[in-house]
Amino acid sequence: MAAIRSSSALLLGAAASRPALRTAVTSSTAAAVRGMAQVADAAQQTATSSEKPRLKTFQVYRWNPDKPTEKPRMQSYTLDLNKTGPMVLDALLRIKNELDPTLTFRRSCREGICGSCAMNINGTNTLACLCRIPKEDNSDVKIYPLPHTYVIKDLVPDLTHFYKQYKSIKPYLQRDTPAPDGKEYRQSKEDRKKLDGLYECILCACCSTSCPSYWWNSEEYLGPAILLQSYRWLADSRDERKAERKAALNNSMSLYRCHTILNCTRTCPKGLNPGLAIAQIKKELAF
Amino acid sequence: MASIARSSLLRQVASASRVSMATRPALQQSVLARAATFHTTSKRELLPPLPQRIKGTVNDAVPVPEPSPAQGSYHWTFDRLVAAGLVPLTVAPFAAGSLNPTLDAILCAGILIHSHSGFQQIIIDYVPKYRTPTARKLFMWGLNAATVVVGLALYEFETTDVGLTEAIKRIWTA
Amino acid sequence: MIAQRAGTTVLRRVAGKPNTFFSANVAKFGLAQPLSTTQLRPVATQKITADEAAALLAKQRLNRPVSPHLAIYDKQQTWFGSSAWTRITGASLSGTLYLFATAYLAAPMLGWHLESASIAAAFGALPVAVKGGIKFLAAWPFAFHTFNGVKHLLYDMTIGFHRKQIVKQSWYLWGASLVTGMFLAFFL
Repeated sequence: MAAIRSSSALLLGAAASRPALRTAVTSSTAAAVRGMAQVADAAQQTATSSEKPRLKTFQVYRWNPDKPTEKPRMQSYTLDLNKTGPMVLDALLRIKNELDPTLTFRRSCREGICGSCAMNINGTNTLACLCRIPKEDNSDVKIYPLPHTYVIKDLVPDLTHFYKQYKSIKPYLQRDTPAPDGKEYRQSKEDRKKLDGLYECILCACCSTSCPSYWWNSEEYLGPAILLQSYRWLADSRDERKAERKAALNNSMSLYRCHTILNCTRTCPKGLNPGLAIAQIKKELAF
Repeated sequence: MASIARSSLLRQVASASRVSMATRPALQQSVLARAATFHTTSKRELLPPLPQRIKGTVNDAVPVPEPSPAQGSYHWTFDRLVAAGLVPLTVAPFAAGSLNPTLDAILCAGILIHSHSGFQQIIIDYVPKYRTPTARKLFMWGLNAATVVVGLALYEFETTDVGLTEAIKRIWTA
Repeated sequence: MIAQRAGTTVLRRVAGKPNTFFSANVAKFGLAQPLSTTQLRPVATQKITADEAAALLAKQRLNRPVSPHLAIYDKQQTWFGSSAWTRITGASLSGTLYLFATAYLAAPMLGWHLESASIAAAFGALPVAVKGGIKFLAAWPFAFHTFNGVKHLLYDMTIGFHRKQIVKQSWYLWGASLVTGMFLAFFL
């Protein structure tokens, strides 16, 4: 199976300089190779065979850890949008399945709930599964890994430091007194409402890696995602270690490297507002 | 600047590779990549990111710094109060023509403090302590010295000359 | 291959039904084993200790490149960001003040004349266009820094964070600061 696939990729690669021929080859060999996917692709092809192919080129950042001396480069792939799903993740999957199995990226849920496919698409960080392929113009789609991260391979960034920072804010309920009824920690509806817009964060790191302050000082500055999570616990009426949480942020680096640039709020694929959460922490710390 | 140059280079490589990536043999491709390497390294960034090093295991949290409100919340609040105070002080001369000597002196002091802490923030951002501790110290002391000099100069200007707002007004309408 | 896939589909369908007995014991019976879709990979594995693995990872980390940032991020946000320009305008205004003040203090020793009267006289002698240009170069940063400074003070009071308005506000303030700078330079 693997052998067939790689040889077909080579064949496709050889035809890449002639786009017209290439699409024909793509669809036929891909159908032969893909087994189960054959049905869907063929059905789509008969339905849209009369349509003109809408070609779109995707420039993707590539770097291979097996060849560490080679510098990162951009590789182009051209797809027919008539045969591709609407989202950038669909295009990436299709590239990986049919054109180049060595292309590496993270993905899991394909519906914006896991945060795996966070990457920089056309200059803005977003989730590939929630980002539509721009169809109004013919310009190339440029896909990079999350900015200013260490790249493991291609579009896969290393988020170890990000997660270590997340751990440092103690992202769990801290209480000293037991629940009055001995069962659960209750919360009024108003108090619960304060967590809306905070608990939805999926830690995809789009906001943190869009922040210039985090680019320059990620070693010590926590970044918007972690600070939003921090505020999620500061705003929780059930938590009893607020003073400790505040003290942990009260130094020149952890929180106050935020200069309200608001790239974070502009980029958040879940529509949250990390900038506002950070401003609220600052306000709570101020007086 | 270096990074800007690099991006255009990447674009060149990308456009070149679109034509050639598939048709050229692997050997030539590596030559292409190497050419790009040569050009990118000839430009030097000021503080290029270091190779990745992770302290402790994946399961250790990053260390939490000691709380120091003097550099954190007090500093931040003080900065905002000064900035907010400067707003009426800069609007007043527009309304009244110029300020009386006391207010003018307060404006000068406010601008001095505001400038000093602004420069401080810039140094903290771009001269990281964990990486260049000596340079950080030099910059900070240099800034302190400069602020003292400027404070003296403003005192001189206020006492021997016509005062800041009046001077600006005279030059502006000259 | 297709047969294998069909097999797994059947297995999945069966497992998907609320049959707790089946799904809980499927591993025990070894049913999953012959139907597995794992690809065969002719790769030899090698046992290493946790320390060796950590060392290997640490070595690999040193090779990793940093992904591009300023060069590729949305130009509108990185090049016209109001926060960055508030810093740039502020630093240039304060920098000018610092340079002028230092020169003013050193002037008696160097024989320069930086008293307000002599500067005003020298400035007044310049052509109108140059005067306006220099005034604009001072007035625009001042207007920009003031407007955006006030905006940031409002931000610090958690006002004005609506996602849709952030971009608009930024452009309004660019426009307003340019107009104000023009007015201060040429009509005052």
